[in-house]
Amino acid sequence: MAVIEVQHLKKEFSYYKKKPGLAGSLHNLFHRETLTKEAVRDISFSVEKGEIIGLLGPNGAGKTTTLKMLSGILYPTSGQAVVDGFVPWERQNAFKRRFSIVMGQKNQLWWDLPASDSFYLNKCIFNIDDQQYIHTIEELSELLEVRELMSVQVRRLSLGERMKMEILAALIHRPDILFLDEPTIGLDIVSQQKIRGFLRYYNEQQKTTIILTSHYMRDIEELCQRAVIISQGQVVYDDTLSKINQLMGDKKVLTLKFSEDISAQQLAPFGKVRECKCREGILELPKEGIRTTMADILSRLPVEDFTVTEVPLEESIALIFRKEGAVS
Amino acid sequence: MRKYLRLTGALMKLSLMSQLEYRINFISGVMVEMGWMLVKLLYVAVVYRIGVNIGTFTPDHIMIFIGIYVLMTGFYMLYYLNFTLIGHMVQTGELDMYLVKPVSLQYIITLRQWSFPMFLTNATAGSILIIAGWHRAGLPVSFVRVAGFLFLLLCSNLLTYSLYLIPNLLSFWIISTGGLDNIIAAMWDFNNMPCMIYGKWMQRIGIFILPVFVITNFPGLFIMGELRPFMFVWAVGAPVIFFIIARLLWKRAVKNYSSASS
Repeated sequence: MAVIEVQHLKKEFSYYKKKPGLAGSLHNLFHRETLTKEAVRDISFSVEKGEIIGLLGPNGAGKTTTLKMLSGILYPTSGQAVVDGFVPWERQNAFKRRFSIVMGQKNQLWWDLPASDSFYLNKCIFNIDDQQYIHTIEELSELLEVRELMSVQVRRLSLGERMKMEILAALIHRPDILFLDEPTIGLDIVSQQKIRGFLRYYNEQQKTTIILTSHYMRDIEELCQRAVIISQGQVVYDDTLSKINQLMGDKKVLTLKFSEDISAQQLAPFGKVRECKCREGILELPKEGIRTTMADILSRLPVEDFTVTEVPLEESIALIFRKEGAVS
Repeated sequence: MRKYLRLTGALMKLSLMSQLEYRINFISGVMVEMGWMLVKLLYVAVVYRIGVNIGTFTPDHIMIFIGIYVLMTGFYMLYYLNFTLIGHMVQTGELDMYLVKPVSLQYIITLRQWSFPMFLTNATAGSILIIAGWHRAGLPVSFVRVAGFLFLLLCSNLLTYSLYLIPNLLSFWIISTGGLDNIIAAMWDFNNMPCMIYGKWMQRIGIFILPVFVITNFPGLFIMGELRPFMFVWAVGAPVIFFIIARLLWKRAVKNYSSASS
């Protein structure tokens, strides 16, 4: 059963342009030409209960605007959305108790106080009883490994620790739906891994429905089965992650190590040369017939070691963006 | 209602704790306010030295008006910071995180941070001036007068909140309201003397159109037995009317909110 249904969502913003320089500023003082930007043109998709989907797209594609409409922060220009039985932009308190949003670039914690004080404020706002509050804080702080940091002022925490606290603050009322807008932005690899691990575990345990936007493909690959790709305000792909490579022509990447120097010309007959430097070469090959090509390479070149991998997801997605951009 | 009382308590506690994090800043804040306080008290000193009377009001009566002005300044300063931050929150999209909370947005945005250094000095000094003026002027102290005075102070607080919130709501459309803030601050300082020193038209505008004079003059007039019945009705009605206007404008403003780019 779908808990999130989005149909033909559209959001326009009005803005004005300013010519560079003082003359432009003076001109703007008296006359501003209002222009309209379509941040979201036509977006439709649905999400099943307990599902984690990745909302992907280049900067300015409309991902964050979509999340803001689904959480009721913004009114759409047109279109419909139902989230857990509610129309988000009606902003009913009952709806606000059912979801939470974490934005990597915005915070809700009080900067000068320990995060636990902000948690207490959320407890008062969400009217959570003492027992449930204590239990949630204990459980989540253990899982996120921040128990020791509960009495440290937020301003003294590292970015990774702060993001964990932001996630904890967002989960105090045990929401059914979680919107995550780049939760790992700017974090080091270890912090990213910990947050991903936590989100995966939390989703399995609580069956929380999650929509995640991230520019880190590891986040998407490790957490999402399905991706909705947005380009220029429209959905250009909505299916499982595994099918994205098929869409790109089912290719594999072969990384080779040689015992002596090899040139690009020597590699070219076997496939598309992605990289070739001295004793290392990377080839792009069609999945079909890869065994024969491999045998051919091994018999004709001094191969010391090799690995076969999928085309990196970001490359396939970037190709989708480029294709759609060219069409538009 | 209980939820909001508890929430207000929590917000006050968090605000105080935040301010106490920076000890020097907190103490210097109190000191600066005390400096301002002395400047305001100079008005009283001048009034006494030259023995000025305004109509039937003696320096003792004038001290009550100044005391109410100082006390109300203290109350306004308690939450004033929130008003000035509205523009910033609209500009940076900080409002987003409050829009998703199951609580009145107007409440959480306008009464989130409480500034105690300014309140403490102004409220203490203001109360002393009122009590001293009341005593020296030989005005009767009865339950009705004290209760009526406190009730009118409550109305004045609601009026201050509404009247001064309205211009700040323009931030939702024009983002930067620095110029307006200065005008608002100047309007507030019209109250540092009884409104009777101004001309008739100025008084009418300050009472009925932009009722800043109602805030500090009416509770004082009530103590002195000079508040006519229709003025009492206006002292209660104006806060209600302006609160409704502020509320409607708030709703319209929030609908106009377009967040900020992430």
